[in-house]
Amino acid sequence: MSMRSREWPVALALGPVLVLVLAPFVWLIVSSLKSEEEIGRADPFEWPAKLMWQNYLDAWRIGGFGELVGNSFLNVAGVVMLMLVTCAPAGYALAKIPFRGREWMFYAVIFGMTIPIQAIVIPLYQVLSAVGLINSLTGIVLAQVSNGIPFGIFLMRSFFSNVPDELVDAARMDGASHLQILTKIFLPISAPAVMALVIISALSTWNDFFLPLIVLISPQVQTIPLGLVRFAGTYASEYRLVFSGTVISFLPVILLYILTQRRFTEGLTQGAIKG
Amino acid sequence: MRVQALENIAGGAAETSPPRKWGLLPASHANVGTAFWLMAPAIAVYGTFTLVPIAVTFLLSFTNSAGFNTAADFVGVENYRKAMQDPIVWQALWQTVIWLIYHVVLAGGLGLALALAIARLRRSQVFFRTAFFLPHLVSLAVVGVIWANIYDPFFGLLNTGLVEIGLGSWTQGWLSDPSLVLFSVNVASSWQGFGLYMLLFIAGLQDIDPALYDAAEVDGANGWQKLIHVTLPGLREVMTFVMSLAMINGLKGFATVFVMTNGGPFYQSELITTYIYRLAFQSQQHGLAAVLCILLSLFAITITVAFNRWRARMAR
Repeated sequence: MSMRSREWPVALALGPVLVLVLAPFVWLIVSSLKSEEEIGRADPFEWPAKLMWQNYLDAWRIGGFGELVGNSFLNVAGVVMLMLVTCAPAGYALAKIPFRGREWMFYAVIFGMTIPIQAIVIPLYQVLSAVGLINSLTGIVLAQVSNGIPFGIFLMRSFFSNVPDELVDAARMDGASHLQILTKIFLPISAPAVMALVIISALSTWNDFFLPLIVLISPQVQTIPLGLVRFAGTYASEYRLVFSGTVISFLPVILLYILTQRRFTEGLTQGAIKG
Repeated sequence: MRVQALENIAGGAAETSPPRKWGLLPASHANVGTAFWLMAPAIAVYGTFTLVPIAVTFLLSFTNSAGFNTAADFVGVENYRKAMQDPIVWQALWQTVIWLIYHVVLAGGLGLALALAIARLRRSQVFFRTAFFLPHLVSLAVVGVIWANIYDPFFGLLNTGLVEIGLGSWTQGWLSDPSLVLFSVNVASSWQGFGLYMLLFIAGLQDIDPALYDAAEVDGANGWQKLIHVTLPGLREVMTFVMSLAMINGLKGFATVFVMTNGGPFYQSELITTYIYRLAFQSQQHGLAAVLCILLSLFAITITVAFNRWRARMAR
């Protein structure tokens, strides 16, 4: 193949680009291990004389990262479960049950995907406040799921549409209900779809900032991005704390991604293309 | 494997089964109930937390609501008039358009360029794809914190790095210079955004029929000609998709601006979204904010519809 001969030149040319793109990470991680005095010398190429792991302990304790991580986990778990419970049956209904008004429902879903969350934020706050869910993880989960539902339904529908109708008919002949067909047949054979939905909703929830900013007011209920921004604002002059706190915020997802990267990439690409 | 087995079973069953019967009623009537129950959880959540707010936003735009839990009167199109006369609305709109263009060019362009390079690799493709994707995993708010520190005039990576390599005269107040700030913040957003576009382009490149390249080679095409006549036409569909996605993502841009500059200095990095937040949660002008919300939605709908039409026309 003529392609093969280009492997090394292309890889070598990509090297410097990669260094530039990843420089923020490297700089942040190296700086997070420096003393405040070393950071003050403002030399990005200087290696820390002694690795200050203490910075991480201090940031973790002062920033309350244990609580933030816990809240983020609860937030993600809630959103992922509720997304599956709402989107899988709705996607199935739109893909496999012919009913009057189906087209109309489907266009409503597409319409929902286009409305940015910032465009409905005032009444959303009012609704959450009316049902007493401001400043609660339940409130943030419901708001995020509602925001993700159109995409989730669209995704599940497009995967389910590819399953042959004969499968549904055969199961109906055997007396299975649609709910049974969904849980016993469609979900098990649609693992890639479920995986895509889980990965995309987990990542976007873990990283969400706008809705938590509106809904989660006290530090005890905040999630990582919001908590970090608050922490970085409060301790803006203590660079070592800001740097190590920031690394704490992004490292878990990056490690998880490197460990599961093939599945992760597939799920994300499939999800984005179908969605 | 499992899918195939089930398909065979299903196929076999279908051959011997009698014609489809859904009872006496036509299929669509018998099914409405079932379909409704399956969609009920989604409708309940979506109706309460999205559909109702959409309707209320529309109503709010005709009121003089000045805060949460306050009484408000209908004032007709007063807010629309106010919005037209507010210079910051126009500035935020214009800057949002510039912001979109920056994002499409920077993030979309880098994504495409890297995809073209990486897709030719065999052994190191997974490595580069994984490494270049890393920034996309970081929350835009965290990206804001990271890049605010990179741009820090005294201790940031950019200025200290430039000084260390002898380019001290290139140092800038990246976030304090009014003519530079929107671009600087957009670089941070685009750094986070390009990875997804790159993955989509790589997927698009893998869908191009290799036979087309062989045919072009037989015709004596060089690398450049193959790019222009085979690769880019083959990417057209992915390209329009990425463009619409990047525009929508740009339109929703909020976190990096909010964290890094909060719209400043002198509103020079204010976007529609950050201005909505300011009006809604700081100066409590809900009527005016609602007008901007509607404008933002119309923008998003226009982009989506326009690109769908374009794609449909290309497919024909």
